[in-house]
Amino acid sequence: MTADTFQAAPGGAAERIAPSHLQLSGLVVRRGGRDVLQIDALDVRRGEILAVVGPNGAGKSTLVTAMGLLERPAAGTILLDGEPVDWRHGALAARRRLAIVFQEPLLFDTTVDDNVTTGLMLRGVPRREHGPRVARWLSRLGIGHLARRQARTLSGGEAQRVSLARALVIEPELLLLDEPFAALDAPTREALADDLLVLLRETATTTVLVTHDRDEALELGDRLAVIVAGRLVQIDRPDRVLREPANEAVAAFFRRRRRGGPA
Amino acid sequence: MDLFLEGLIRALTLAARGDPELLSVTWLSLRISGGATILCLLAGVPLGTLLALTRFPGRGLVLAVVNTGMGMPPVVVGLVVSIMLWRTGPIGQLRLMYTPTAMVIAQCVIALPVVIGLTVAAIQQLNPKLRLQILGLGASRTQMLWLLVREARLPLLAAVMAGFGAVISEVGASIMVGGNLYGQTRVLTTATVGEVSKGEFGLAMAFSLVLLLLVYVVNAVLTWVQQRGRPL
Amino acid sequence: MLAQSSAHGHGPARSRSSHRVLARVGLLAALLLFVAGSLLLEAPAARADTPRLILGTTVGLQRTGLLDVLVPLFERQTGRTVTMVAVSAPQVLALGVRGELDVLLVDAGDDAAPYISAGHGIDRRLVLHADDVLVGPRTDPARAADASVPDALRRIAEAQSGWVSRGDNSALFQLEKRLWRDAGLDPVGAPWYTALGQGMLPTLAAATERQAYAFADRQTYLERRDLLDLSIMVQGAPDLLRLYDVIVVNPAKGIWIDDTGARAFADFLVGPEGQALIGGYGADRFGQAVFVPDAGRAEDALRPARRAAP
Repeated sequence: MTADTFQAAPGGAAERIAPSHLQLSGLVVRRGGRDVLQIDALDVRRGEILAVVGPNGAGKSTLVTAMGLLERPAAGTILLDGEPVDWRHGALAARRRLAIVFQEPLLFDTTVDDNVTTGLMLRGVPRREHGPRVARWLSRLGIGHLARRQARTLSGGEAQRVSLARALVIEPELLLLDEPFAALDAPTREALADDLLVLLRETATTTVLVTHDRDEALELGDRLAVIVAGRLVQIDRPDRVLREPANEAVAAFFRRRRRGGPA
Repeated sequence: MDLFLEGLIRALTLAARGDPELLSVTWLSLRISGGATILCLLAGVPLGTLLALTRFPGRGLVLAVVNTGMGMPPVVVGLVVSIMLWRTGPIGQLRLMYTPTAMVIAQCVIALPVVIGLTVAAIQQLNPKLRLQILGLGASRTQMLWLLVREARLPLLAAVMAGFGAVISEVGASIMVGGNLYGQTRVLTTATVGEVSKGEFGLAMAFSLVLLLLVYVVNAVLTWVQQRGRPL
Repeated sequence: MLAQSSAHGHGPARSRSSHRVLARVGLLAALLLFVAGSLLLEAPAARADTPRLILGTTVGLQRTGLLDVLVPLFERQTGRTVTMVAVSAPQVLALGVRGELDVLLVDAGDDAAPYISAGHGIDRRLVLHADDVLVGPRTDPARAADASVPDALRRIAEAQSGWVSRGDNSALFQLEKRLWRDAGLDPVGAPWYTALGQGMLPTLAAATERQAYAFADRQTYLERRDLLDLSIMVQGAPDLLRLYDVIVVNPAKGIWIDDTGARAFADFLVGPEGQALIGGYGADRFGQAVFVPDAGRAEDALRPARRAAP
């Protein structure tokens, strides 16, 4: 684990930044012969919530697939805690240190309990630990009463909570969330986002949150990474991104307009 | 109609006095077809899962062959397997012709495409993102395959029932490679045909009824397992 | 929104899940045992030191039950294991050509001699003959009893007495067609002639019902005699005899041919014990013999060579 580093902030003062947790350099992801993602350098810092934003089709989900080590990039290196990822067995060792939650809950056709235990079972955590850990995380997400329920009977919000519990029970070093609230209605989304934020702060889990909702990004992210047309255009604190957008595309993404008024 | 009644009475009489021939024929049917089905399950589900999820050159051809195999007439399978098992054939030195083992082999050839084909369909109807989610929870490739199979267990159980149904009721391959030898390779289907050709229609009907009962019981059990805890 | 309630107790869940694991392991073990058991079913005799002698014969002969008496006795006496494959006569010959059988016991008819001369079989010996009979109503309205076959058929045609024929692809029907032709008649389509298209039993049942004439093999007739109201009209004519030869398959076809065993079986069939069993078969059941043991006789003595077909 690399030590804290210091960087120069605008205005000259040094600010302490957390060490790098996940580092991408020279990353290229190719689909069907086309380069869909090209990241020269991206650094996810320990303990931060990095919100990845950008217009639809920009390549945000591809970024999650790449960061989640679900496929091997065409080019580039990925460092976890400064060490290159060992790609043997489909990067299994590295993948076991992180967890991914997608937009759909993608629950298994069994009970909530069984679903949430999955990650523990996959890692060979002793059976006697399963019960207490699962129960703790179910209650922290407010769904303790659903433990015995069949997953297919849950509402959208409940199901997504289960999906989050399933990821969090692993207590991963790195949590990747690919538009986790996009399929939920506004009140559900807000409640869940609030609860999630509290949990992430408590556990200091490094989180990458992909969203196409700029408000969500601004509220939840410690830093924003803006992806446009497969490239990382800007990565900085939210206030700095709003004040000094790197280019017109970024500015346009965050610009507010009144309905019916001029763009 | 009187033949049905005669068959029913004959079947009940034979069963009531525990007729050893009926019992041994039934037990042999179950062992051969059950054994073949289990073998095809152990081989076919992993193969079908891999076939569903892996891209490789010639995949389309393999799928077409599997789907063709699903409709293969058992008597054709019987002929081909016979040619292989004949003493003049490639594996003739195993001397398997006219043995129950040969029947298991032939029935495996019949059931395997059924199990593989239906497994492919079962896996392919799963949400394609599920695979990524499973990997995203830290599964190895083997664990991922196991979880997908578990998730598709309902249609897979149907695949098993289809495979079993195909072989317990076939007669063409069993007669060709087994020879319907009394006390050795005589099963419910071949016994039925044998009795019909002797003109013993009542006894043939009795064997048929026992066969139907056997199929029903096995499928009832599997259906119960499949539908357990799923009140609509 | 987040509850601060205490965790649920998971004691019961834990023991339940360990039961489930046990159940699953048990099920898997049972399945594997089942598979192993089904594969190792009565391991073929070839695994042991006595290889099987593969005998090819016809379904018709096997059905009479004669071989169920002869074969076990042979097995006991020689310590050999015999696998009896019962199929149609042409199939027996074809399997013999391929060398899939060691010894044949078959009524090959005209195909027997060319078979030997082509080198597929060696050491062909006549073992027994079964015969077919012409049966009809006891009252015998056509006066067919004890006539020659052609005469009987002509009288039946003239009297327009009923006739029921198998009309299927059996050897008996082929014989019947030839006999009608030899008598110079073509009864197909005549109002008194019925081709049933079914097996021996339905044919005899119909003949009884209509009090008509028919050809039948002696065995089936004897088995059903009590239920039938028919008597034998003509029997013993050379054309009605079905001669069974035992043929040893030519060992040149492959080293797997058990010609020693085949010869032993052939010797047994034509030997005094085998012949006695053949001759006595059916006596207690039917009061008359079904077969006639023929060892040592020349085929021509029983059935003179037929004139060339027109």
